[in-house]
Amino acid sequence: MKSRTTWHWNAVRGEYENGQPHVHPGTGEISAIDAFSNRSVLLLGGTGFVGKVLLAMILDRFPEIKHLVVQTRRKKNVTGEQRFYSEVLKSPPLRPVVERAGGERVLREKIEVVEGDLDQPLCGISAENLEHLKGRVDVVVNLAGVVDFDPPVNESVEPNVHGTQHLIDLVRALGAKLVHVSTAYVAGQKNGRISEDTPILGYFPRRTDGTTERFEVAEELKWYEQFVAETRASRGSDQRPVRERLREGGMNRAEHWGWTNTYTYTKSMGEQLIAATSGLDYAIVRPAIVESSLEFPFPGWNEGFTTSAPLVLMGGEGVKGWPVRKDGPLEIIPVDIVAEGILIVTAAVLCGKHKHVYHLASADQNPIMLPRLVAFLGMNSRYKHKHKKTGNRLANLWKAYVETEVISVQSLQARRARLHRGLDVIHAVLTLGKTVLGPNRVGPYLKSLRDTRRQIRAQEITLDKFLPFMFHNSFIFETSNIRETARTLTNEDLKRIRWNPEIIDWADYWVNIHTKGIEKWIRPMFTTTRKTAG
Amino acid sequence: MTGFMNKAAFYDLDGTLLSCNLVTMYAYYARNDRSPVKSVYQFMKVLLSVPVLFGLDLYSRSAFNVFSFRAYRGMHRDRLIGLADDLFEVTLKPSIFPKAQALIDTTRALGYRNVLVTGTLDFTIRPIALHFGIDEVICNRLEFRNHIATGKVLPPLLAENEKAVAIRDYAAQENIDLRESCAFSDSNSDVPMLSSVGYPVATNPSRRLRRVALQNNWPILELREESPKFPPFLRTAKVL
Repeated sequence: MKSRTTWHWNAVRGEYENGQPHVHPGTGEISAIDAFSNRSVLLLGGTGFVGKVLLAMILDRFPEIKHLVVQTRRKKNVTGEQRFYSEVLKSPPLRPVVERAGGERVLREKIEVVEGDLDQPLCGISAENLEHLKGRVDVVVNLAGVVDFDPPVNESVEPNVHGTQHLIDLVRALGAKLVHVSTAYVAGQKNGRISEDTPILGYFPRRTDGTTERFEVAEELKWYEQFVAETRASRGSDQRPVRERLREGGMNRAEHWGWTNTYTYTKSMGEQLIAATSGLDYAIVRPAIVESSLEFPFPGWNEGFTTSAPLVLMGGEGVKGWPVRKDGPLEIIPVDIVAEGILIVTAAVLCGKHKHVYHLASADQNPIMLPRLVAFLGMNSRYKHKHKKTGNRLANLWKAYVETEVISVQSLQARRARLHRGLDVIHAVLTLGKTVLGPNRVGPYLKSLRDTRRQIRAQEITLDKFLPFMFHNSFIFETSNIRETARTLTNEDLKRIRWNPEIIDWADYWVNIHTKGIEKWIRPMFTTTRKTAG
Repeated sequence: MTGFMNKAAFYDLDGTLLSCNLVTMYAYYARNDRSPVKSVYQFMKVLLSVPVLFGLDLYSRSAFNVFSFRAYRGMHRDRLIGLADDLFEVTLKPSIFPKAQALIDTTRALGYRNVLVTGTLDFTIRPIALHFGIDEVICNRLEFRNHIATGKVLPPLLAENEKAVAIRDYAAQENIDLRESCAFSDSNSDVPMLSSVGYPVATNPSRRLRRVALQNNWPILELREESPKFPPFLRTAKVL
């Protein structure tokens, strides 16, 4: 549905303005169209959430691209090439683009699929393929990595640190340049504005506290080898599962240096390896929390659980108290804007006019404050529970007519304690009832109490995982580099790719695009994984 | 359907495709304030204002409109957008006329681009337009300052003559032949819009519009009935 009007929404001022938004003309120092038509790109991690949108965007916005090499991992019996054509090109974000481009046949001429795996030396690209690609790849764009926040430490270090070393070796072997996608949260436990100019090498978030400690990746890797070996060796003497202890070890180590979790800790190490490599021409792209697409390939495309999806789903289930900062933004950014940002950076790298670090985030230009999001969650719950036909009617009424509120962590803890005390009482009463009335009559209630408890526990864990982003820290990632680079494109480029998070109408985005996208694409997966897990 | 469309079907909303009542809409926002206590308080305010609104409507339609937009003053835009789907489910969907969808499907099947031209506000329209499968919307917008509604409407206020101006502009921009286009409205105030197209249809007409329609030989259509008689130019479609 289109709406015809002469007014446009200025999201920052919160007003409608007459006429079209002002668009800065490009200076034309770099030409993305030129860069992509004459050079060739090797894409790693094209199967992920951002990867697929980026791939779709290259094919859609730059049909003249000369040569695109996509590295895909083999999965059991399915070769990388089969996976690419049967899974990736047939996925919802790519299907419409493939059709517009003239079908798979046309794309086969442009795209070359090579099998590979970040876990192996030179990213697992065979000697034969490497020889073939040498001198033919101008830039390697790496989106591969593991985005689990707190996996066993080895599952994070292998892809994010050793994998990055393999990537660096590959890029050097190919004689190419590198665009490496990291995360803005490598900043760690910090507050306020995060600069893009902070030196990468030797960085750790607690450094500014006047500590005399020094952070070195080589030392960390020594610690890591030792820790993993010790943990595995103590299998017999320690009762707790090894995986659990590896998970805890990673989180503790990350927190020791001031990072929020294992993911950001290992990602920062990956960045430091790149920065330490002499003679490497690179740009590191750091997106914030990547969310549903705003427009491309269609509004609301989303995939996976590493976004705010768990929060949105919890909000829809009627969680009332949200511990967030009243004055803080949530640093989210739609995936299509991230893809545009990566393309702009890639073009700049190809033209040799890039900077080393690019934040891709929204709050610097157009922040969405957390209390507004909490209110949206409440309105969504109102809508869902009013029209819900199943479940307890009283509970539904409560969830429909009482909305969310912003609370402090202390009051969250108090609420949790009260809730669990209440549930304990109910449990005691039911257990008593079971002995008096017999298990047949009370059993079902006990079972539903158990289910409720499990659900509440799961919600608590999810919420705790997000606390660093909503409560403990409040960031604004500065985005001056991407803005500056975007201004150096030609006007013709700017018709195809732009850096424009200032146009996001957050209310419309959150309510009509993001929440609905999550309901459509994530909810079905969420319920099935829960069923299989339980 | 093949690409090039050179005719459009312009629809008025209120009274034509459904009967949305402003008072029930306010009552909705009042009932759904952030907490039950606030909701009760707001709802009492609406109850008190009902007689005033009735009086105003009798006195002047435009005064009524201005007053009705003022009721949004102080409301946060997030809330207006966030509650729009629920508002549609609760107050608007039940009031859609039985054959409204059939009419819209018919015009689409005949190759008309369906355009809603209405004084109702943008956030209210969105779920309606999606429900009907409308292609494009021309509607009113509230003025906001720092996300808070001021109670005014952004100019031009879409009503009477402005609707005719809007569809002429639209036709010029979109290469649409107004002589081949049709328009549907229930109200006498939309006579300028109806007269600008080749096939005007008085839909559920008010008494005054019925008189105008009879004078001009415009067809009259009753979407409130279960089996309305569609005017000849719409009968070739096989939707019904």
